[in-house]
Amino acid sequence: MSNLSDVGNLMYLDLEIIEPGNITNNSEYLINATAKELSNTDGRNWIPLIVKEVAEYRYQIIGNSFIYAVAEAAGLEKVWCIIADDSEETAKVTKILAGEEIPKINLSTASRDEIKSALEYLIEQPDTVLKGVKIPVATNRIDEAPRRYWQDLKPITKLKCGITAGKKVKALEKVFYLTPESMPDDIKDPKFLNTLTTTELRKIAKKRNLSGYSKFSKSKLVNLLSQ
Amino acid sequence: MVQAPIKQDRIPYQDLSDSLIKALKELPELAPEAIVDGNFIATSFFEALGFSLHERIPQFKTGPGEQKVDYALRHNINEDIFLHTKANPYVLVELKARGTNLTPESPSYKSTVKQLKRSLLAPNCKTVQWGIITNSKHIQLFRKHGKVIHPATPCLEITPDNVGEITYRVRQKIEHTPKALTVAVYNNKGGVGKTTTVINLAAVLTRHKKKVLVVDFDPNQKDLTNSLGIKPGNQSLYDCLEDKKDIISLREVISPYTRKFHGGISLSFDVIPVDDKLAQAHEDNLRKDLSYYSFRKKLDSLKSDYDYILIDAPPNWRLFSISAVYASDVVLIPTKHNNIFSLQNAAVTIQKYIPEIQEIRQKNTQGIEWGATALPIFFNGERITDAAKNRVKDAIAAIITKANQTPKFDLKPYFKPVDKIFELPSNAHIANAAFEKIPAAYKYQIAYSYYTELAKEYFLQ
Repeated sequence: MSNLSDVGNLMYLDLEIIEPGNITNNSEYLINATAKELSNTDGRNWIPLIVKEVAEYRYQIIGNSFIYAVAEAAGLEKVWCIIADDSEETAKVTKILAGEEIPKINLSTASRDEIKSALEYLIEQPDTVLKGVKIPVATNRIDEAPRRYWQDLKPITKLKCGITAGKKVKALEKVFYLTPESMPDDIKDPKFLNTLTTTELRKIAKKRNLSGYSKFSKSKLVNLLSQ
Repeated sequence: MVQAPIKQDRIPYQDLSDSLIKALKELPELAPEAIVDGNFIATSFFEALGFSLHERIPQFKTGPGEQKVDYALRHNINEDIFLHTKANPYVLVELKARGTNLTPESPSYKSTVKQLKRSLLAPNCKTVQWGIITNSKHIQLFRKHGKVIHPATPCLEITPDNVGEITYRVRQKIEHTPKALTVAVYNNKGGVGKTTTVINLAAVLTRHKKKVLVVDFDPNQKDLTNSLGIKPGNQSLYDCLEDKKDIISLREVISPYTRKFHGGISLSFDVIPVDDKLAQAHEDNLRKDLSYYSFRKKLDSLKSDYDYILIDAPPNWRLFSISAVYASDVVLIPTKHNNIFSLQNAAVTIQKYIPEIQEIRQKNTQGIEWGATALPIFFNGERITDAAKNRVKDAIAAIITKANQTPKFDLKPYFKPVDKIFELPSNAHIANAAFEKIPAAYKYQIAYSYYTELAKEYFLQ
């Protein structure tokens, strides 16, 4: 703990000097009922609000915003806060730690087990749109697909694993992100080539200085490029 | 309340900024001083700083002979047109050619600062409050308070992107000159006579008609509060510092100290005493209510009320001393020539602690405020023999050499040659006065004369 910074400190701060920031939606019921519980005690929030200092005596919430809402409802003037540093990463990980945001995994490099548990998590959600998706099938197909080159999650819709375009593939964005590698020009794997569009296949053909492919169908293009 | 004037200034600031940017962009890369002056300073910069043609005097005579500074500035007061009366300058400006290197630590930077300081202390410039050096690539603002000259801003690099902002903020500073010089009296080593220095300096300054506030910021010892027999004010310092919503003013914590003399004269200064709550709280507990800037925020509102604010800071580099130095303009460091640790600790303060404060102050003010500056050290209250003088000379030489190694730090401006370091002689009255609850400088002529010397060495012009 440095003396020239409050980062890491537990401080007792006036609610008034704390900016709510992006407050996650919590139900009125939970807020008010919790406020009542808190008022029945000595009013100390043992789970602190997580804030960052934006200027001298000005703080912004980065995590546990539920506590802020409760403190407000309970009429507390001061709340116990932990001062976090002001980096983006800290704000992000704090929200995740507080359960206010869902962590994402990198689908470009994720292991099979990671993919499986992410899909399981999504399907277990009460409002899931992925009902009927068979986890073992979807996991296998996604795992084996050349996902390290994917620019987005759209190729999943072509894996015939029950995850169709629209809200189903959109749901996957909650848990997956990509850091795509650039595609090597000499790629020959037909399985991968099949996931590309005709235009993309033509581009590869052009880069390889092939000729006569301009009127080829997709399957012929794949054939040509996989030789 | 604070935001209102800024909003009003926003619109002219944009216009002025456009003209500054244009002038700066059209300036040739190697413009000599006359071109920097004619095409940028006189035509756009002064206008943006708010000084009209009648409020500037080029080649202002600073003293007898040929001593001159490039510009003196002052706002006109009714009939008193500065260009005509040439009296009471307020700002001095030292210009350089665009090609002159003004990056900090360069030889030409150092000589330019020296030149400005000489002008600021010249006989015709006693009323000056601010000094500026610029070559149109860099600019630095200095504050002059009595004899003390300290950087108000870092040496800032000027680009077309920031010239408007920088000029505006320099103007804001010049237009809101704080009356007070805030002095933290600090040495990391204890027992060097900090409290005695604060009390007697305050006493002497009041005898020179200065309005003085002293702050006992050493809650563990409470020496200052006790040695003057001060009763607490209306509010406790703890409650005031803890209040982040600006409800409790530091004014309510103040308790005056008055000394009546024979013949009906009385002298007084204000004291912010330590309360028991602050004294008894453990530092870890304090940190839940206080930040290192809590004290500065409260003290800022008093800086227009006093000529001098003297803070008695505790030894050790912890919350209270950090807060005291963060709140101050300059740091006065008493040492004892016969205590090598007090000298070594002075060096650590100057080369490590104060730069830390400067760094954080600059960060908290978007790079515009320099932060606290150390004053040269002085020897406090011990008789010094020639043999001792030689020993201390060697000790100081060793300290300076060590600081000059990596990372390089030049301590010479703070550790003058031993013969020139100010010595406050020892005196039994000074030491004993603490028992009498009276500053020695109020009671004994000898103490008064010693501390007057100290005040004149550092503060009074």
